[in-house]
Amino acid sequence: MLIEKEILSAVNKLFKRSWWKILAIILLVYTIVAGLLAPVPRLAILNETIRVLHFHVPMWFGMIILLTLSVVYSIKYLRNPGTQHDIYAIEFANIGVVFGILGILSGALWANYTWGSPWSSDPKQNGAAIALLIYFAYFILRNSLEDEQQRAKISAIYNIFAFAALVPLLFILPRLTDSLHPGNGGNPGFNAYDLDSNLRIVFYPAVIGWTLLGGWLASLRIRLQIIKNKLHEKLEENYLHASPYAAAQPGSQPLESSADTRK
Amino acid sequence: MLLLNLGLNPLKAQQIPENSPVTSSVEMADTFRQEGKIYVVVAVILLLFGGLVIYTVSIDRKVKRLEKELEIQE
Amino acid sequence: MGIVNSHHGISCNIKSLLIEKLLAYRITGDSCKVVLDFMLFREITLLLKKEIILEWRQRYALNGILLYVVSAVFVCYLSFNLQRGLLNVVTWNALFWIIMLFVAFNAISKSFIQERYGRLIYYYTIASPQGIILAKILYNLLLMLLLSVACFVFYALVMGNQVQNGWLFGGNLLLGACGFSVTLTMISGIASKAHNSNTLMAILGFPVMVPMLLMIIKVSKNAIDGLPTNVSYDEVWVLLAINVMVGTVSYILFPFLWRS
Repeated sequence: MLIEKEILSAVNKLFKRSWWKILAIILLVYTIVAGLLAPVPRLAILNETIRVLHFHVPMWFGMIILLTLSVVYSIKYLRNPGTQHDIYAIEFANIGVVFGILGILSGALWANYTWGSPWSSDPKQNGAAIALLIYFAYFILRNSLEDEQQRAKISAIYNIFAFAALVPLLFILPRLTDSLHPGNGGNPGFNAYDLDSNLRIVFYPAVIGWTLLGGWLASLRIRLQIIKNKLHEKLEENYLHASPYAAAQPGSQPLESSADTRK
Repeated sequence: MLLLNLGLNPLKAQQIPENSPVTSSVEMADTFRQEGKIYVVVAVILLLFGGLVIYTVSIDRKVKRLEKELEIQE
Repeated sequence: MGIVNSHHGISCNIKSLLIEKLLAYRITGDSCKVVLDFMLFREITLLLKKEIILEWRQRYALNGILLYVVSAVFVCYLSFNLQRGLLNVVTWNALFWIIMLFVAFNAISKSFIQERYGRLIYYYTIASPQGIILAKILYNLLLMLLLSVACFVFYALVMGNQVQNGWLFGGNLLLGACGFSVTLTMISGIASKAHNSNTLMAILGFPVMVPMLLMIIKVSKNAIDGLPTNVSYDEVWVLLAINVMVGTVSYILFPFLWRS
């Protein structure tokens, strides 16, 4: 439990450091400049659109990394219930879903001009769509639970359970099915650019940069949520001190009950 | 000059890599690059990106100030 | 005992028998691990027996879901407006599994949602969460097996039987029933904690079911086309792996859900 707390405070500290945010900005600037200017392999059908690789695919990687972080914090919540773990889980899921939506939209746009239609029932496209459906369900589940602790606990359970069911969809099924995407599955025509070193030196920094950007945005929302909680605490304290009972019997029974009625 | 050193010269971009599986017959936006107009595109995107980054940084600062006010440690 | 008696489903002597037996195993089971495992096993069989007796007493629920199967199949038959055997293979397959999916949702959603509050507390006092989830999964598995056989027989009767590799189809039906019960039992537990649980059950369940459903439909298509069984080994292994994984996760997570 002590280690958990240390990890949490270390992460909280990291959120306030600026070096990794600067790293994210540098990597993204590099991605934009090199992504548009660096030499790329000349491939039929794709032509110049191959540069979309540095912008579309990192969305997908970022989504998986951020959603995994969300599940990690859900597990932490169940092991050691605390409001902060729940905040981390929901906010990482939030930004992961944003990445997922952007990935799907940009993918559909790219696919429309290279594969001929925005939706080709490709296993990876379907996988991304299902992942989004699961996390929309997660948000709806959260909203339909009123008690705060109940909400945190049950949504953490669903988060872990759904992610476990999602793993085969994202990592095993595409290997069993033919895919228009390069890599595993079929479509040898596009495999060539998978190994191209010119693309790699831009692509890997791009993935790191976009994911760090996602982490930055998530950290902002997490910090705001923590501030909000702190504010509620303070308001409650102020209310207690201002209540008529406070002057008469400070810290005794009526204080408690006045807090209860306010809730 | 920096761009040249980094190997990002658009003139280089039209050279065909030796290990390329496809020949130079594949049409790329070569003229567009030779005219140097690609730099305009890069500049515009960088400008927009820079604006968004500045906005995000200002939010970050605001959050930091709030944290200080509320004395949130860690 | 007040809470226990307030529920009219089970008669009092079964309840007291259960309590006595479970308490006996609790007390003796403290000493060593083997006895504990044995206790869990006993617990599961007792709870399973209880579920089956309950279901058998209120046969209207079972009859209701059977009638649901029959009418769903018949409605599909009428809406396609076909002579038998004319449906193409892909449609036949997809339609069958969609009907199965909806039947599974309706059959399994009641496993926690329709439990009365009193009965939940009663469970809480006498059984371990692991015992409860395993018993529920096993019970739903039996129910799904019954329903899938019934659904297939009636579906084949009305729409024509196009299956050529019967063994593979049967095995797939078994794995499918297994997958439905393992996944949806847990989802039903989660949904039962919230309001408007019936809608929530569908929202939470559909996306989680998809990977399994894709595999099932693929294997089923192979079976209908009469491909030799070894062509589908990959998919069958994945299906088994998903079942085991989801089952394990349910087993680990259910205690957290149960205590809340």
